[in-house]
Amino acid sequence: MIVEGQVHGGIAQGVGQALLESAVYDPDSGQLVTGSYQDYTMPRADDLPSFRVGMTETPCPHNPVGAKGCGEAGAIAAPAALMNAITDALGTEDIQMPATREKVWRLAQQRLAPAAE
Amino acid sequence: MYQFDYHRPTSLDEAAQILSQDDEASLLAGGQTLLPTMKQRLAAPSQLVDLSGIAELKGVREEGGQIVVGAMTPHDTVANDKTVQAKIPGLAHLAGAIGDPQVRNRGTIGGSLANNDPASDYPGAVLGLGATVRTNKREIPADDFFQGLFETALEEGELIKEVAFPVPQKSAYAKFHNPASRYAIVGAFVAQTDGGVRVAITGAGPCVFRVPEMEQALSSNWSADAIKDIKVSADEFNTDLHASADYRAHLVTVMAKRAVQAAG
Repeated sequence: MIVEGQVHGGIAQGVGQALLESAVYDPDSGQLVTGSYQDYTMPRADDLPSFRVGMTETPCPHNPVGAKGCGEAGAIAAPAALMNAITDALGTEDIQMPATREKVWRLAQQRLAPAAE
Repeated sequence: MYQFDYHRPTSLDEAAQILSQDDEASLLAGGQTLLPTMKQRLAAPSQLVDLSGIAELKGVREEGGQIVVGAMTPHDTVANDKTVQAKIPGLAHLAGAIGDPQVRNRGTIGGSLANNDPASDYPGAVLGLGATVRTNKREIPADDFFQGLFETALEEGELIKEVAFPVPQKSAYAKFHNPASRYAIVGAFVAQTDGGVRVAITGAGPCVFRVPEMEQALSSNWSADAIKDIKVSADEFNTDLHASADYRAHLVTVMAKRAVQAAG
């Protein structure tokens, strides 16, 4: 259960990185604009789907109990999965994380009306 | 936080009196905006007049076919009130989607309306239903109450007592929330009322506003299709970290359509 929980947390972190989290500084003053959670978007439970976690267990050969880290797994795979899905759907690879709702909307609008560019 | 004096009057008259004697005094309702602002030293009231001790400001009641909500009623109470849920489900839904559980249990309708934050939810329902704001001095129709960015018709020494909502035939609120703060980036409140169809938009501009073109279209054809091609101008709209003005203008039509669909 600890392992599944860690993977859930890792996926949440990965989803946050891919879609939500962005540290923004004011270009003129250098002030951190996203200095509180009113502006910096942490992923929350209702931003996420339910997870089903599957595992392949391969004990680590370098320590007596075979233990190894696992929490990072979700954080590594989630951004890749999401960004691949988004770039595939929009037909462009030119989108920086986080792929916010407005960025995705803007790219979709460009796809709909290429003549207007 | 700077130093201030604290009062907890037990009557509206007493609260109004303290307020009228000191220009620098502030009313404290749920404190969900004022207290964080004071903690950051962005506000420095000389006196805080805490309204939580005035019993008549709390609660929801039916009165002459209207739903009357006391100024100090927390959002969570409105969201879970059986009468509100039955008579104005759009209002119950709106109240239940404000902020998070902590905000809904502390924040109040009176505090929200008096502050008139451009991204707050309640102005959508008050204007969208054509409600009346009752103060210690007079009754103010919703169409006159909201005057601009954080500006209302409230005068010096005037306190909101309660809000009277007429019961509509249909109503719904659709909100595109700020993913971080859960304020409205755009919120659309639509209603069929005895006074006609009303469409109120909050979050998009400096102040809540109605969309007459949509109201006319929906009057003759109550369907999402009737307003799908009605666009609003982004000229006066807000631009911030979370959404630019033209994105908000796009969302006005999207959220109004969703609200009409939700109202059925």
